[in-house]
Amino acid sequence: MSTTAETAPRALSRRRIRVDGWRWTGRIFLAFMLLYTAVPMIWMLITSIKSGFAAMEFPPQWWPDEPTLASYEKLLDPQNSVGQDFLRFFWNSLFVSTVTTILSVIVAVPAAYAFSRFSFPGRNFLFFAVLLRNMFPAVIFLVPLFILMRLLGLMNTHGSLILTYLTFGLPLAIWLLKGFYDNIPVQLEQAARIDGATRFQAFILIVMPLSAPGIIATAIYSFIGAWNEYIYAYTFLTKNDQLTLPVGIQRFFSENTTDFPGLMAASFMMSVPVVVLFLVLQRYFVRALTEGAVKH
Amino acid sequence: MTIVTGKAEARRRLQSGRSGALRQIWEHRADYAYVLPAIAVMLVVIAYPIYYTIELSFFKTPPGLQLRDKTFVGFDNYTTILTSEVFWRVTWNTLIWTLGSTLIAFVLGFATALALHREFVGRGVLRAILIIPWVISAVAASYIWKWIYHSDFGIIGAVLVGLGLADRPPNFIDSVSTVLPSLIVVNIWREFPFAMIMMMAGLQTVPEQLLRAAQVDGASAWQRFWHVTFPHLRNVSTVTILLLAVANFNSFIIPWIMTGGGPSNASHIWITHIYELAFGRQRWGVASAYSVLLFLTLMTLGYFYVRALSGNERQEGSA
Repeated sequence: MSTTAETAPRALSRRRIRVDGWRWTGRIFLAFMLLYTAVPMIWMLITSIKSGFAAMEFPPQWWPDEPTLASYEKLLDPQNSVGQDFLRFFWNSLFVSTVTTILSVIVAVPAAYAFSRFSFPGRNFLFFAVLLRNMFPAVIFLVPLFILMRLLGLMNTHGSLILTYLTFGLPLAIWLLKGFYDNIPVQLEQAARIDGATRFQAFILIVMPLSAPGIIATAIYSFIGAWNEYIYAYTFLTKNDQLTLPVGIQRFFSENTTDFPGLMAASFMMSVPVVVLFLVLQRYFVRALTEGAVKH
Repeated sequence: MTIVTGKAEARRRLQSGRSGALRQIWEHRADYAYVLPAIAVMLVVIAYPIYYTIELSFFKTPPGLQLRDKTFVGFDNYTTILTSEVFWRVTWNTLIWTLGSTLIAFVLGFATALALHREFVGRGVLRAILIIPWVISAVAASYIWKWIYHSDFGIIGAVLVGLGLADRPPNFIDSVSTVLPSLIVVNIWREFPFAMIMMMAGLQTVPEQLLRAAQVDGASAWQRFWHVTFPHLRNVSTVTILLLAVANFNSFIIPWIMTGGGPSNASHIWITHIYELAFGRQRWGVASAYSVLLFLTLMTLGYFYVRALSGNERQEGSA
């Protein structure tokens, strides 16, 4: 009795020391990851408020001597040609991403529902065929799609982008939504069916509202995917007034290679919409992404 | 309620018995309407291009892509690729790029998830900050890092010189030996958050009681991780690693924007090389043959991908 009373605290303190060791390792590691993640973003912000000359100094000014918002003003000024271009690219990106998002939700919702609920022949085959699309890079499809778009007369239109973005966003959208539908009890629909609702009514009135978080997540995912897409836009669009932001910025700065403050300001503004969207709706997004992979 | 469920169950079982595949398809005809729009879009934009790529890979097509003037050349495009020196260089780069990015991003993401698993003040904020690189566009990321690596005014070079570790700022992305590792660092910066999210969600499924029971039995933190936590995460880990591997194998933007494959092909990976062959040098046949080879490689990877995913599905079914 007396021995246990003596040894217990000692064992406890030894264990605490060991646990503390792990905890400190964790903290130091997290600090390192925070630096790795944040320093590039902070450096982008600091550079964006420098003047062109201040950015080209060695050693660099860690904090600008004369912070200026000139780069932002130039990009957002509809009077000057740089601003006109930037705002047009911004608008193009917004338009393409929004239309893509709406269409992919409309197409993905019924498909995901069917994959989750019905057991028609070929269901598994079709589901994996849809998922397999995720495996293939844009480049494989690029040459034939280039020809197809030329054939359909969609070159240099936003239609070509919307159509392609729709397909590369769909597999994941369907996969994410299926995870949500799998979690909604079938009994709810059955109860509605007993009360006289058709399958479609049960779907619209019962399942849709319950799967709203999944739909929101899918929508954000489509939006971010379309907003950040580069390779198709780079290939299908050649006219300056059609370009989306990623390509527009690249075109623009391949001509002005030394305007790093401008480039950083543009990169920052390009990131704002998706980062804000993501931070606001983070919960749904993270949940949906992991639903399919880890659910038990 | 229970009776109805039982009846539905019985009917489903009856239907899944042997009643003829065609009859089943006919009985389920309404179900197909739900998937039809998705399948239709996929067919136009996927099946057709795959077919067309295979066809083009056996032809020599003029630079202007005048399809009427293409001539059949058999396997010439394939032999051109496999005998070229660049092919092996690019393949080696792709291998390093894919394996390096995938493994390091996974390990960092997993470790971050573990470190974030316990509750502490500011955890939510920290997690949100760590995820941001994954959300922002790869084009923006490429430009940010290009500026960081800048050989005259880059911040890393300045820090190294300031600490006396280098006489002058090193050339990170203009030198053959450092370009690929430098780009991998950028890629990992964008991708470890994905592994982190997946593994965080996975960690939540590890039963708390088991960990506590192991602790009572005197298992150390490492033993608890290795014998309890890790086996529970095997499926999530497989899926995460596969998704990362596929994404890395297919990445384009970072090498394309930061170096364009240079200097002297040191940072060309398959995808950027194919793009350059097709849209840079208009060698459509060779580029298509490359795509077909890529496609075959990916099908092999895809086999494991589907197996891992359906393994998950099976486990769900039995759970």
